Amino acid sequence: MRPFLVLLRFSLGQLLAGRRLLVVLLLVAVPLVLPAVFVRGSDLDPATFSLDLFRQLVLPVLLPVVTLVFSTSALGAELRDGTVTNLLLKPIPRPAILGAKYLAAVLAALLVLLPTEAVGHIVAAGGLGSTDLLAATLLATVVGTLAYCALGVLLSLLFARALLVGLAYALLWEGAVVGVAPSASSLSIRGYTEGVLAALLSGGVDLTTRLGPVSATVLAATVTLAVLAVAARRLQRMDIR
Amino acid sequence: MSGQPRPTDPAVPVVELRHFSKWYGDVVAVADLSFDLRPGVTGLLGPNGAGKTTTLKAICGLLHPSQGEVLLFGRQIHQDTMLYRAIGVVPDGDRLYPRLTIRSYVRLHAELQGLADAGAAAERAIAEVDLLPLAERRLKGLSKGERQRTKVAGAIVHQPALLILDEPLTGMDPGQRARFIELVRLIGEAGVTVLVSSHILAEVERLASQILVLVGGRLAASGDYHAIRDLMADQPRTVMVRAEDARRLAPGLIALPTTVSVEVDGDGLRARTRSVEAFATALPRLARDQGAGLREVRTTDESLEQVFRYLVSRR
Repeated sequence: MRPFLVLLRFSLGQLLAGRRLLVVLLLVAVPLVLPAVFVRGSDLDPATFSLDLFRQLVLPVLLPVVTLVFSTSALGAELRDGTVTNLLLKPIPRPAILGAKYLAAVLAALLVLLPTEAVGHIVAAGGLGSTDLLAATLLATVVGTLAYCALGVLLSLLFARALLVGLAYALLWEGAVVGVAPSASSLSIRGYTEGVLAALLSGGVDLTTRLGPVSATVLAATVTLAVLAVAARRLQRMDIR
Repeated sequence: MSGQPRPTDPAVPVVELRHFSKWYGDVVAVADLSFDLRPGVTGLLGPNGAGKTTTLKAICGLLHPSQGEVLLFGRQIHQDTMLYRAIGVVPDGDRLYPRLTIRSYVRLHAELQGLADAGAAAERAIAEVDLLPLAERRLKGLSKGERQRTKVAGAIVHQPALLILDEPLTGMDPGQRARFIELVRLIGEAGVTVLVSSHILAEVERLASQILVLVGGRLAASGDYHAIRDLMADQPRTVMVRAEDARRLAPGLIALPTTVSVEVDGDGLRARTRSVEAFATALPRLARDQGAGLREVRTTDESLEQVFRYLVSRR
């Protein structure tokens, strides 16, 4: 197996080792699936419920928390423990090491988020329900995960308490600052994700977002790549003391 | 051992430091260090804080030089990651993955090196450090010496041409030390360039014939171990003497050709001598002649650091 794939497999195993996967799965599944059980006995439209749940719970809380937990520890834990030397002293370019760690964080986060979101949607609808809505929320989750994980990996190279910094960004900047200063959406991963969701649902559901579909998509891709490039450069120049 | 790449030109040193300096803010860790290494075992000797780990980390590419350059096989490692195919490193500290077993840890190293038969390479390396019976044990349950040997197995699994060992004997019991020293010697004799650091003189004596002595981030001495040891032996050593009337011993002691100085202090005296042996031979005779009954004679603990300071002062 190629060293990159070995590193990816090893890093994914580390992120999901022990009870961590089970604990994170439960933490995400309970708030997503439990309300869906109760909506079946009410007059609520399952599609509206699923969309509201996604916009009010997944986007502002679960998506940033899950992605930042995995992405800040993918490289951050190794830097903290000093075990990163086991990887850096190998014939693998540092940007590739960063790429493998980033991909491992993305896969771990998606492994938690996608199934729980799908189960919540199916339980609420009592079946597949609106497959367009399901596909759109899952795809938007993938976009958000790619961006948040890039941010988390970069933060872990800059701060010892990267998770706290990441959560402060998600809760304070995206939650509070963007609420009072809508133009700040251009620096909000949550804003990009909502914009991408709107683009995917165009015509199907009336969804008002601060960023237009095109600008959200372009910004999501650009910011993700730019953040990864900065992280790669940072790791390349980093002294391991 | 046959890792790749190796220098094609024998004139090219395996490791070459040219005016290497490293500082952190205002603190200079290593200053203007230049030396080169060729196949065989070289000891990097120095007290704690001398800059040994900084130097080793710069050689293996974990630190960037603040000034000067570090070349491996004539190339800069930061510009050629593939050089890591030829380098094995045992870093200081406990940098292991506690959940892994010895076998999976060493195999991980083999796979990250891109070896074709990682499993067989891992088994061979584990056998070389005498850990085969423990191969399925998790790293978190191992003794310090066993963890150290596991790190060595990970470092030699790809048969590197350059092996860097930072304080490798830490935590090993005497039996493990003896076997490990033999292993390092064999690796060196096989044509591998081995650089091993230690702050313990006796360890380096058993490991390496060539040594580099670092003090305060500078190269204090380098070359053949025995020549440097002789240089160290020239250092005046302090002997504390307590006697019934120590003052009466002073004239006789100062008259010895190897005595540097004598200070009388109450019922004792402190003498500095270039030959403890000559001092120890003359002292009982003097005490008998002067009727000064000896109560206590001891040399003060001459730490390695003091020896190094002496070496630096002679430069």
